[in-house]
Amino acid sequence: MSNKKRYSMLASTAAVAFLLAACGNGDTEDTTEETGNGTDTSEEVEEDAGEDSGEEASSGDEVEPVEFDTRVENEGEAIDGGTLSVGYVTDSPFTGIFSTELYTGNPDAVVMGYMIGTLLGSDENYQIDDSGAATFELDQETNTVTMTIKDDVLWHDGEPVKASDIAFAHEIIGHPDYTGVRYSGDLANIVGMEAFKNGEADSIEGITVVDDKTIEIEYQSVGVQMLQAGGGVWGYAAPRHYLEGIPVAELESAPEIRENPIGFGPFKVDNIVPGESVSYTAFEDYYLGAPKLDRIELETVPTSTAVAAMENAQYDIFQGMPTDQYENYENIPGYTNLGVDDLAYTYIGFKLGEWQEAETDEDGNIVEPAQNVYNEDAKMADKNLRQAMAYAIDNDAVGSRFYQGLRRRANSPIIPNFSDYYAEDLEGYPFDPDRANEILDEAGYEDTNGDGIRETPEGEELVINFASMSGGEVAEPIVEYYMQSWERVGLKVELLDGRLHEFNSFYDRVEADDPDIDIYQGAWGTGSDPTPEGLYGRFAPFNYTRWATEENDELMEAMTSTKGFDVEWRAEKFKEWQEYFMDELPVIPTLFRKAVTPVNNRVGAYDITPGEDPDTEGVGLHTLYLISEDRATE
Amino acid sequence: MATNQDADAVVSDDMAASAPPMGIKVIAREFMRDKLALVSLILLIVILATVFIWSFIIDQDVVTTVSLWDSYLPPMSMSEDPMFEGTRYILGTDSAGRDIFGLLLIGARNSLTLGWTVTVVSSAIGIVVGILAAYYAGIVDNVIMRIIDFIMIMPQLMIIIIFTTIVPNYNVFTFAAILILFSWHGQARFIRGRALTVGRLDFISASKTMGTPSLIIMLREMMPNISSLIIVNLTLNFAGSIGLETGLSYLGFGLPTGTPSLGTLVSYATNPDILENKAWVWLPASTLILVLVLCINYVGRALQRAADAKQRLG
Repeated sequence: MSNKKRYSMLASTAAVAFLLAACGNGDTEDTTEETGNGTDTSEEVEEDAGEDSGEEASSGDEVEPVEFDTRVENEGEAIDGGTLSVGYVTDSPFTGIFSTELYTGNPDAVVMGYMIGTLLGSDENYQIDDSGAATFELDQETNTVTMTIKDDVLWHDGEPVKASDIAFAHEIIGHPDYTGVRYSGDLANIVGMEAFKNGEADSIEGITVVDDKTIEIEYQSVGVQMLQAGGGVWGYAAPRHYLEGIPVAELESAPEIRENPIGFGPFKVDNIVPGESVSYTAFEDYYLGAPKLDRIELETVPTSTAVAAMENAQYDIFQGMPTDQYENYENIPGYTNLGVDDLAYTYIGFKLGEWQEAETDEDGNIVEPAQNVYNEDAKMADKNLRQAMAYAIDNDAVGSRFYQGLRRRANSPIIPNFSDYYAEDLEGYPFDPDRANEILDEAGYEDTNGDGIRETPEGEELVINFASMSGGEVAEPIVEYYMQSWERVGLKVELLDGRLHEFNSFYDRVEADDPDIDIYQGAWGTGSDPTPEGLYGRFAPFNYTRWATEENDELMEAMTSTKGFDVEWRAEKFKEWQEYFMDELPVIPTLFRKAVTPVNNRVGAYDITPGEDPDTEGVGLHTLYLISEDRATE
Repeated sequence: MATNQDADAVVSDDMAASAPPMGIKVIAREFMRDKLALVSLILLIVILATVFIWSFIIDQDVVTTVSLWDSYLPPMSMSEDPMFEGTRYILGTDSAGRDIFGLLLIGARNSLTLGWTVTVVSSAIGIVVGILAAYYAGIVDNVIMRIIDFIMIMPQLMIIIIFTTIVPNYNVFTFAAILILFSWHGQARFIRGRALTVGRLDFISASKTMGTPSLIIMLREMMPNISSLIIVNLTLNFAGSIGLETGLSYLGFGLPTGTPSLGTLVSYATNPDILENKAWVWLPASTLILVLVLCINYVGRALQRAADAKQRLG
């Protein structure tokens, strides 16, 4: 083989490698997959999506958790119009399904956010209020929800948004041919929905279009969680006049969804390059007033070049900046970093049982619903073992060292954003290896054969298989750190198959209760409803630990019961549940996260405070303005 | 008689000049003529000796222990972790506070061992298959070559990556096996080409007519005639295997998590910040790969020339 040939071969291998690096990242790093549960109650999030805030000071000379502003104002005269450019930092390209009913991945939700419009607004506690395009009322007596669309709310093609558009959104999801993942128990709760889904009825009995602007939806039962954004009411509209002619099974691929989607948001879609960029133009007839900007250009930026793009001032706003690189963009001139608590937390889960499919009798009637079945002989079934593992790891240090203080140790499965329900005073599991050793000794996990590794109380060897996701620069060191920490207290933990797993195959195996997995590290996006039933209830498929106890059932029931309309009583139950949960510890909540949004100083005002009035400058997209033709670089 | 004696002398002189210099002498002479190759050889031996001896002295468990306090310490700094008090990091640390120097030594050892194993095993398979195909020719050759053609048209890098993600119990041995699976055919094809020409030579035909067993012909008569090519090919492929392993590790599909490798060290450079500001993390490993591969190539080329009389310098 001549040398010339050899080198040209090397060159082409290198080219393939770079290409692969690009798609490899796409799969592993920034994926945030939204799954099943109808409204945005819960989603699996990829490891480095956001970060954590902190009130809790960590010990010693560690990096303190970082505090952020949620609002920035830059002084200066607003220029006329202008184009705002948004860099959306992600390694997984958006699929470009511009429909709330049909999309699955979080990237789609982000690009949709600029044009689709908000039907139901929410306040700082993520409770539905009247700040959206419709007002909302829940009647406990009659189990009905009434939504009334405000005047002058128009679709981008000039047609008014009608009550029947909300009904249409329900009809798409409930349609027998529906291809998406949004059909859930929340929607089946609507009177007549199941009959419609099975094709037995032509319309949904419980949905009544009262007049052009008002719709009434009757539920079989209502709970307090329905007052919460994403808590069970499908608060979205789909343009009936625009999509009606398309069979539901073909909607997902229709050009009306993919290429020329319409919404009632402040900007309308001008051009879409799938996976790469979207340009939006101002929608002059927006019901809250014409936007001040002329255009918004959104482009996706790979995580690896995000910081470089920021240094070159390529975009005005960066969405989804990677937090493990925070120290690199902390002080870039021309930008202000805003931050909020992410609606997510990282956790380590213990496999404690398995999912059992529904049992039916001969006629196909469900005798026993599908549910989580707890296995008291599971390897991790001893609560002492779980607690000891929690004490053995130093999450305060992980947050401050690996995430520069942008994440901090979690002390509860309820995130601090839900301030009414979050049990702030719970201690959780601070780093205490002595305590871990003590618990293990007491529980009978002792090293009987002198190899430095503890055996089970029955004297059998104990090897715990740990599944974790790849992705992000720090995924590997953190997993190594955890395993080494456990080894220091005498527990032998091995990586499942000896490697980290790609996001999708990781969740596939965790979901399928792969018997090889004993513990796993995952992350939950909690959505805007604090109720933990969707993640830890007996009938929740997302309860990946398969943990189910009667006491837990009782507390869950209390938290979702109608009595819970009494918020104080409900908060009490939430705290009781958190105490019980943190003692039982089916998962170790490890880190709370914070999400950072760098904003260029030529943006007049920008505000990411949850629940702020959309007419306040900087909150609603239509209020954004620029104060200079060129991006600030200092 | 004087003339005759002269003629004899001329003849014997001629004999001395035309008797081909053999084996090690040719190689030694080739290296003496090519200073670059000589320097490469010495450097290569020094590096290999250092890596293999030193990496067995240091404790891999200590090197791979994550220390949260020590991440990204610049070269020559002292550990800030109470657990490692008094440790000095000659080449600094990576994101998880692991000693780059230790990782470099162990990583180099792993990468070299793996590269060498893969090269030797795949060459062995290649030689056997190649000589078999060349010796029997006809239908055997045809079948073997079609199989090789089939393997060759597959996108090998992609398939290796897929294999590494689907095999259960992924470890160093399965990784090596996967690499071997996709690298023997190149050797087989190359050896077959050379062996074919040798197989057509008269002495092979003579040997066959005399009834020498096929195995003896292949091992004792054909193989020695292509042995120089085998050595050259082995050397050059060694560089290729190191490149393949580090490349895969760089992409995250190489050696299992927790096994240090040159590729994993280089892959830190995918982060622009590390590339720009923390060169101590990736620069030593990159330099080592560059030096190793260049050395091997220069040595290999010298060997190649030694094996081919037309190209010899000396």
